[in-house]
Amino acid sequence: MAIIRKADSADIALLLEGTYPYISGGVSSWVHQMVTAFPEYRYAIVFIGSNPDEYGQPRYQMPDNVVHLETHFLHEKHGESETKPRKGDPQTMQTVRELHDWFRSGSTEGGDAVFKALASMLLDSKDVGEAEFLYAKTSWEYICQQYRERCTDPSFVDYFWTVRSMHEPLWTLARVTQNLIPVRLFHTVSTGYAGYLGALLKNKRLKPLLTSEHGIYTKERKIDLFQSNWVRDNRDAFQKHASELSYFRSLWIRFFQGLGLACYDASDKIVALYENNRLRQVEDGAPTERTLNIPNGIKLTRFAPIRPNRDDSPKSPPILCLLGRVVPIKDIKTFIRGMRTVANELPNAEGWIVGPDNEDPAYAQECRDLVESLGLSNNVKFLGFQKPEDIFPKVKLLILSSISEALPLSLLEGYAAGIPAVTTDVGSCSQLIYGLTDEDKALGPSGEVVPIANPEALGRACLRLLSHFDVWQACQAAAVARVERFYTDDLMFGRYRTLYQELLGEAATPDTTDTETVA
Amino acid sequence: MAGIGFELRKLLNKKGYLGLLQGYFYAGLISSGPWVLSILGVLLIGFFSIAVVVPDFLIAQFQVTVTYIMAVSLILTGFIQLGFTRFIADRLFEHKDYIVLANFNGVLLAVTLAAGLLGGLSALFLFPEESVLYRLLLAGSFVVMSDIWIAAIFLSGMKRYKAIVLLFFLGYSITVAAALLMRPFGLEGLMGGFFIGQSVLLWGMVALVLYEFPGADFVRFDWLEVRKVYPSLIWTGFFYNLAAWADKFIFWYYPYTSNQVIGPLRASEIYDFPIFLAYLSIIPGMAVFLVRMETDFVEYYEKFYNAVREGETLQYIEEMRNEMVATIRQGIAEIVKIQGIAILLVFALGPILLDALHISRLHLPLLYVDVVSAGLQVVFLGLLNVFFYLDRRRIVLMLTGLLVVSNVLFTSISLYLGAAFYGYGFAAAMLLTVTVAMLVLDRKLETLEYETFMLQ
Repeated sequence: MAIIRKADSADIALLLEGTYPYISGGVSSWVHQMVTAFPEYRYAIVFIGSNPDEYGQPRYQMPDNVVHLETHFLHEKHGESETKPRKGDPQTMQTVRELHDWFRSGSTEGGDAVFKALASMLLDSKDVGEAEFLYAKTSWEYICQQYRERCTDPSFVDYFWTVRSMHEPLWTLARVTQNLIPVRLFHTVSTGYAGYLGALLKNKRLKPLLTSEHGIYTKERKIDLFQSNWVRDNRDAFQKHASELSYFRSLWIRFFQGLGLACYDASDKIVALYENNRLRQVEDGAPTERTLNIPNGIKLTRFAPIRPNRDDSPKSPPILCLLGRVVPIKDIKTFIRGMRTVANELPNAEGWIVGPDNEDPAYAQECRDLVESLGLSNNVKFLGFQKPEDIFPKVKLLILSSISEALPLSLLEGYAAGIPAVTTDVGSCSQLIYGLTDEDKALGPSGEVVPIANPEALGRACLRLLSHFDVWQACQAAAVARVERFYTDDLMFGRYRTLYQELLGEAATPDTTDTETVA
Repeated sequence: MAGIGFELRKLLNKKGYLGLLQGYFYAGLISSGPWVLSILGVLLIGFFSIAVVVPDFLIAQFQVTVTYIMAVSLILTGFIQLGFTRFIADRLFEHKDYIVLANFNGVLLAVTLAAGLLGGLSALFLFPEESVLYRLLLAGSFVVMSDIWIAAIFLSGMKRYKAIVLLFFLGYSITVAAALLMRPFGLEGLMGGFFIGQSVLLWGMVALVLYEFPGADFVRFDWLEVRKVYPSLIWTGFFYNLAAWADKFIFWYYPYTSNQVIGPLRASEIYDFPIFLAYLSIIPGMAVFLVRMETDFVEYYEKFYNAVREGETLQYIEEMRNEMVATIRQGIAEIVKIQGIAILLVFALGPILLDALHISRLHLPLLYVDVVSAGLQVVFLGLLNVFFYLDRRRIVLMLTGLLVVSNVLFTSISLYLGAAFYGYGFAAAMLLTVTVAMLVLDRKLETLEYETFMLQ
């Protein structure tokens, strides 16, 4: 643990797992936007990372109202408790058993009582809880028993270490709650370890907890776990079935679900970026009445001035643009294949791929080779990183071929600049193209949504828009109206200001923006 | 004696009783060969010198001198015996064979200096009445014998068990022959023969080492690190050897049970002879111990740790643990059985044996109890071996420490209680230590998986 900025107290503690200010990305930008937008609040940031050597210097210039910053690393060697045998307390194990049963039940009912018991076990000052978990005979017996009852993978040593590495961070987090400076509100920007920390803090400090989720942590972890080879399972060819998830993987998933449940249970308000995610949260155990949507917003003033510079006519060159890093999750290859379909009918069509390609060089090369082999060298261009302002005036369609997205700001930025979009059906895309509420839907579609990994459909959708100028114009108008009505940063800040004031028990200042609470 | 298991298993897997017999014979030879040869050698020299070396008293002086050389050299090298064994094993495991020889030279150099200093000072100040030649031979033999223990440890670390036995056989044959040839020169003649024979043994071993293990550097002192890495081994080796000799020293220096033999060296006629005889009775026990430990036990020991490492199920790990426990139990039971038979044989044949050797039957009760003690010592060795395999070094240290303390204590009590109790001190100390060792082992095995996973 390290304290980078120090204060005696703060208004809001942001609990950030692997993001701001050390890692740049969507969530970090959002956090930066937030702390900058609320100079009236003094923020404390609790940064949770995995290994200290994975993070360098802060990537953001933090504003002065971030008065406190402390970092904690989950996989740092910690624990002052000495390696020595101990009997262990049967009562403690009983509580652990109840807690696990509760996690397994997946309901938020009765969580309070078990959780309080757990918190008190974790939070004693002498690290007894940790020593108990690491060295006690009772804990050993419990692990063996759980293995016998539940584990369907053979390797005991892997089970044992999975359980250990899964639980050890909990004590690091418990220690955070002892030393954190006093604040009035906890705001976690994910579930997972940060959300769980929020639950512990709420429990100990009795201050409100606000949870904002950009992605769905549990779901992202699930993708990680499916893709990674780091979870060994030691099944042989006969035991392994392609569709069958290894027990260790499912253990991790359930563990994160448990953390998520604890977080939802303790949260006063649970914010999702868009409707699909909110439904997902409810499915994962979030009490409906505490959930709401607050979509991200963009600064209109930056993009609106682009519109007059546009040259929109049926004759203007059909330029399609994919804004994003050249990585598999963006499924650049589907866009390239789709460009073949487009180019077949519009030989002068251009597909611009705008974004850094150094993150996954092998994938970037594959993409270039694909362009070559499809004979699209004259149509598809890799432009690297560009300022949106420089390219937007020429772009007629914004393309998003990703297999996973949350609420892509680039889409909104394109809208503001007067560019309709064709996207895959992921995250909030459908909501952004067709509208969410009746009022929103009445604006009409601002583009088209196609299934993922379907280049033909993507290409066809682009052609529909590019070869019918009237349709394109209608979409453009809807895009501009939609972003101005529902997705400006002022709207977002307004809603968060209301939330903050409500949770901090302050008198709400008159607010002109309508708070869209979905109950 | 790690690594011997493979050869033993090969012999035991042969069909019929012949293979079994060969296996146990081989095990007996390897486990007992060197010290049996030492005892027999010294006894033979004495036996054939009667009526040639006059007066008889000179023979006793020779035997007592050699006994002291043996005892003190073992205790002195005890500090480094186990640590050096472990050092060799670790380096071989890391495939750093090339630095092993240089370290052997380093240990040899250090032991030579230490033994030279101790032997030299003793010869200089403790034997003013004896001839210069005796004193030189005493110091020289002490250094040579200390070096022999180191060379033997090195060779057994390198798994050259057969070579050790052969070299001991050769060395003691020459020792006996040379001593007998030089009998006419009295005590100095016997000592001279002994020194020559031992030197041949030492140089034979050193030659074998140099021939088989060429090394780049000549002398290295990496082995000194064992002081830091395995401090407990330093004291364990010392305690074990000290414990094995403590009761003897007490009897040698207790006025009523001993008499002065040469210089400051004293002997206990009543105590010494039965104990050396008793040690010969443990040959079968040692053979069984080696066979059981290095074949069955090691097999399941390896299966257990492989099961842990390579991701077997908990059920399988527990099964292997249980098999391991069963082999330990079986091994100890067999040692007890075979030593039981040995004890019965000594009880039955003791009187005849003593008569044949022209030794007073007054030694008989002491012989009986010594045979029991020696048998217990084999069991103790077996238990220590298990602890070493499980790498519970602190327990071994505690047990050998307990043996030192209890042997000193109980032996002193037996002296106080009178002649009828002689020998019971050592026996009681062995019994206590073996009992404690068994209880501790029981508990350790009970919680083996817990400790393996949670505490390491």
